[in-house]
Amino acid sequence: MRSTTPNWLRWGGGALIAVVLIALPFQFEAFRVNQFITWMCIAVAAAGLNLLTGYNGQISVGHGALYGLGAYAAAILVTRTTVPMLLTIVIAAVICFVAGVAIGLPALRIKGLYLALVTLAVAVLFPALVEQFSSLTGGGRGLALVVPQEGCPRGRPECPVRWESPFGGLENDQWRYFLALAITVVAFVLVANLVKSRVGRSLVAIRDNDIAAESSGINVSRTKIITFGVSAAIAGVGGGMLALLNGNPRVNPTSFTLLVSIYLLVAVVVGGASTVIGPAIGALVYGVFTDVIGPELPGRFENATPVILGVLLIIQMLVAPNGIVGQFKEIQAKMASRRSGGAPEVHNGATPVERDTP
Amino acid sequence: MNDFLEVLVVGLGNGAIYAMLGLGLVVIYRSTGLLNFAQGELAMFSTFIVWTIWNAGVPMWLAIIGGMFGGFLIGILLHQVAVSPLGDPHEKPLAVVIVTIGLFLALNGAAQLIWGTVDKRLPPLFGTGQVTIGGVSIQWQKIGSLLVLAAMVGLFLVLFQRTKVGLAMRAVASNSESAGLCGVPVPRILMLGWGLAAATGTVAGVFTAPQLGLGTNLMQLTLIFGFAAITLGGFDSILGAVVGGMVVGVLSSIVPQYVSAFERMPLAPAFILILAVLLFRPQGLFGSKQVQRV
Repeated sequence: MRSTTPNWLRWGGGALIAVVLIALPFQFEAFRVNQFITWMCIAVAAAGLNLLTGYNGQISVGHGALYGLGAYAAAILVTRTTVPMLLTIVIAAVICFVAGVAIGLPALRIKGLYLALVTLAVAVLFPALVEQFSSLTGGGRGLALVVPQEGCPRGRPECPVRWESPFGGLENDQWRYFLALAITVVAFVLVANLVKSRVGRSLVAIRDNDIAAESSGINVSRTKIITFGVSAAIAGVGGGMLALLNGNPRVNPTSFTLLVSIYLLVAVVVGGASTVIGPAIGALVYGVFTDVIGPELPGRFENATPVILGVLLIIQMLVAPNGIVGQFKEIQAKMASRRSGGAPEVHNGATPVERDTP
Repeated sequence: MNDFLEVLVVGLGNGAIYAMLGLGLVVIYRSTGLLNFAQGELAMFSTFIVWTIWNAGVPMWLAIIGGMFGGFLIGILLHQVAVSPLGDPHEKPLAVVIVTIGLFLALNGAAQLIWGTVDKRLPPLFGTGQVTIGGVSIQWQKIGSLLVLAAMVGLFLVLFQRTKVGLAMRAVASNSESAGLCGVPVPRILMLGWGLAAATGTVAGVFTAPQLGLGTNLMQLTLIFGFAAITLGGFDSILGAVVGGMVVGVLSSIVPQYVSAFERMPLAPAFILILAVLLFRPQGLFGSKQVQRV
């Protein structure tokens, strides 16, 4: 389907966003840049969740656990092996793929609300798992990302992982920011291409009517399981990024509680489920509320972010269930049809299949 | 042997709590066909109300009634504002999950705003004393929780089987459209279901709080246990919630004791139970089988 956005706006907007993304780390202090990196990790994990829940209709409230698995896998590999750091993220993704397939198998029989229930239990179980395997994960105290290296302070053999830019002139946090940005862009381009492909269309077909999909030659079981795996792998990449790149030299189980799983879902739904860019917008909304607006609120309202996000989520579900991006596209479609004088080309069904052709 | 019996009693006591929370989940499932992911947070919130009233010097039992009433009102309010505008939950499972999760976040955050992040202390309703029967010491609190559970089940059975409102609730659950045509005020019945569920949850919260400390994540584990209970018992069965609650309570207190792999994960047996039941017997032990039409 042809997009309704004019070409100049598309290219101009894209260029503007690129310039802003590149300029950001030079305009803000290191602590802010670290927050931006965390938002990108959330965005990537949410993009993985979106593939599963948005496009394929399998509801997961447990992606925080897969996000955490990715983080711990990368962190353990970095501290215990000599695998190059960026490669650990790839291995973490593979591990998460396997875990995702393992969760995806029972999901063939457990659907809808009940799948949400099972994945919710996975999310609650994850911190206990970290505790159980504390010899590997460091348990409740967290896992320090220290590696043997030269030049550690006070002559110690080990100290926190450092990211020195191979290019001159970049600060440590700026270099990490660009690494994270590169991974994020790759992940989103990958998802965009995937959902545009034949595979992506079959995901949507299965979500809308699995029996019809099966009868038109789609292998529903295989597609659903692999989607679970790929979705988990992408969430794992987000987790790996969080562990290695966000500037915190410690991976804590408190970073992967049930609330984190919920925030991932918030990012997908608020941004716009089954739109490519939605999870990024949602992660931005989450980040702005948590890290920018939250701390600015007066005194005792500092912790108001969860309330705001919760209420926002409910209002959004009742008023604009397609999320920010979905709503934007709907308005755009309405305006376009008004211009051309035809009947409004708005998809009233829950599932406009080709809504998000980029 | 006595060790085993003591662990068993602890399990039964916990099971009573899971069953109480499960009862609330069943009431909502029966009336609206919806898994309420916010049930635990509703219970947590109204337990904080109980604490506030008790803290002001009111006797405990009166505070509990106050908390149940508060929970009832909040349940009704949330149903009217957030849940009822959604329509049929089985048509749009994602929307339902999202809204109940939004409620989860909002209630959790609101409790943190109102009562802070420091755990409160709520004393056990039946004191800290214990009784020794045949060499096994049992806390009064455990016996009390079983008695309260029995009373609640009795009340629910009377409500569902003997009263007009209960009849209306059953009618709505089995076919809301025909019930509406017969003059049952369906929206009001659904609203009542949410209120009742929230009030039931309050009792579960009041029994959980002395064990875990009253904090905002009071019911997150308990909720999973409650879900495990009703998954095993059958999502729409009162009796199932009780039996399921007991089984889950006993399993999750005995298994970690004897299986070292689950030592720090009392939740793991419950999780495996949920998974196994949903895979092999989705209607649970006492639930009614769902027929899917294509």
